[in-house]
Amino acid sequence: MRMYYELAKRSFQQQFAYRAATLAGLFTNSVFGVMLSSVYLALYWDKPENASVGGFTAEQAVTYTWIGQALIMPVIFWGWWLIIDTIRSGAVVMDMLKPMDYFRYWLSRDLGRGAAQVITRGIPTLIIGSILFDLVWPESWQRWVAFLISVPFAVTVSFCLRFMFNLWGFWLLDHRGISSLVILVTGVFSGHLLPINWYPPAIRDFINVLPFRSMMMTPVEIWLGQVSIARGLAMQVFWSAVMIGCCYLVLHFAERKVVVQGG
Amino acid sequence: MAYRSSFLLQIFANFLINTAEVLALFAMFYQFDSMGGWTLGEVALLHGMSMIAFSLGDMLTIGMDYVAPQIRSGEFDRVLTRPLSSWMNAVTSEINLRHLGQLIQGFLVLTFAFTQVNIDWSVTKVLMLIGAILTGVALFMALFTVEAIFSFWTVNGVEAINAFTYGGSDLAQFPMHVFGRTLRVLFIWIIPVAFVTYYPALYLLDKPDPLGMPGWFVLLGPVITAVFCGVVAWGWNQGIRHYRSTGS
Repeated sequence: MRMYYELAKRSFQQQFAYRAATLAGLFTNSVFGVMLSSVYLALYWDKPENASVGGFTAEQAVTYTWIGQALIMPVIFWGWWLIIDTIRSGAVVMDMLKPMDYFRYWLSRDLGRGAAQVITRGIPTLIIGSILFDLVWPESWQRWVAFLISVPFAVTVSFCLRFMFNLWGFWLLDHRGISSLVILVTGVFSGHLLPINWYPPAIRDFINVLPFRSMMMTPVEIWLGQVSIARGLAMQVFWSAVMIGCCYLVLHFAERKVVVQGG
Repeated sequence: MAYRSSFLLQIFANFLINTAEVLALFAMFYQFDSMGGWTLGEVALLHGMSMIAFSLGDMLTIGMDYVAPQIRSGEFDRVLTRPLSSWMNAVTSEINLRHLGQLIQGFLVLTFAFTQVNIDWSVTKVLMLIGAILTGVALFMALFTVEAIFSFWTVNGVEAINAFTYGGSDLAQFPMHVFGRTLRVLFIWIIPVAFVTYYPALYLLDKPDPLGMPGWFVLLGPVITAVFCGVVAWGWNQGIRHYRSTGS
């Protein structure tokens, strides 16, 4: 366990090296945050004040867009192909030979990275958003704590998804095709593209039984008070467990594939 | 073509991604009746025009994505030795049709928009539509070039330009008057994406400008875009000069 903690710490520290990239990213997230907030507010122009549409008032919708921008880097919704890179370079063999669990090796590093990016990207983005727009804050300290707990679970579910998509690399070797598919799946199903409640009932109900909403929608609902803390976190724990199980299953087959190719 | 299935999947997936974007638009109008006073068809018109211009501009300048890695690997020297201008060489060094999916999607959305809105068609309106898309293609090509220009000096923080390329095309998909003053000034006067969709759409739909600009204002689009392209061309040449002066 100590080893995984050290791995997480190492990748946590690494993240602070990229200062220019962090500033550039914050700028981009903020521009998109302002843009999306303006678009969402425009939807409410002809609604009475404090009108709630699909469970969101205008202020809540704006808060949703900023939480979404803040979570982009910590949670990572698209474009993460580090494992496929190791498959192509062959470094994957060394990683698998290391005296540690391959899945936990990557998960601990990703959690370390996520924690760092909550600090470098998440919090600053929310601060910028709160300066530029009126945001809704969690109504109690319990909700603040629950939201903070929900983020690592969001990262875990996201990581499992990315892990499995990367392991496709053992068969496909090229990620350019599926990378677009990932953007679609995570973008729509996580609720990052649009609040899930805004889709027509059939689509909404379908998305709600999938694990992906744990990556974005559930943390937002915990923040905004749209779900009870217990229920929100329980869903995330449940889906994290299921996804981790799936990862080990896929890993089992992938490892056999490596052996077949001669290691 | 080493990865044929992956390539086809890429075009299909690119189509799908933009389906998500269009799906989001429809879902918004499933919940709401209007966006800043505009109907679904009217906003779809903006979406279609922006998607077509952006995907064409991106496809034509895909080589710009490779300038930074080429500089790092030394490959860029070879690009410079070829006949044609340095920019043409860089642009034509790579071809990628990944945004074909978005182009198809753009045409579908535009067609949908035409069935929803009443446009009193005339020759000048057809010319306006074509001119707007051409202006947009030029503008996005210039924007993708800006990203490459920065890589002559630095590899750090170049991704901030995404706020203007992807951000610009996203912004062009919505009516300009919903945005605050800062974004409006930026995207009308400096990076003129408002002239790719919004002002031409006002003309096509015979709408007055809620921001109070006169009807002829739309004609400034190509002018401001030309100025922008001129500045980018100057920047490119500075980049090439800087690259040579480093002696590599």
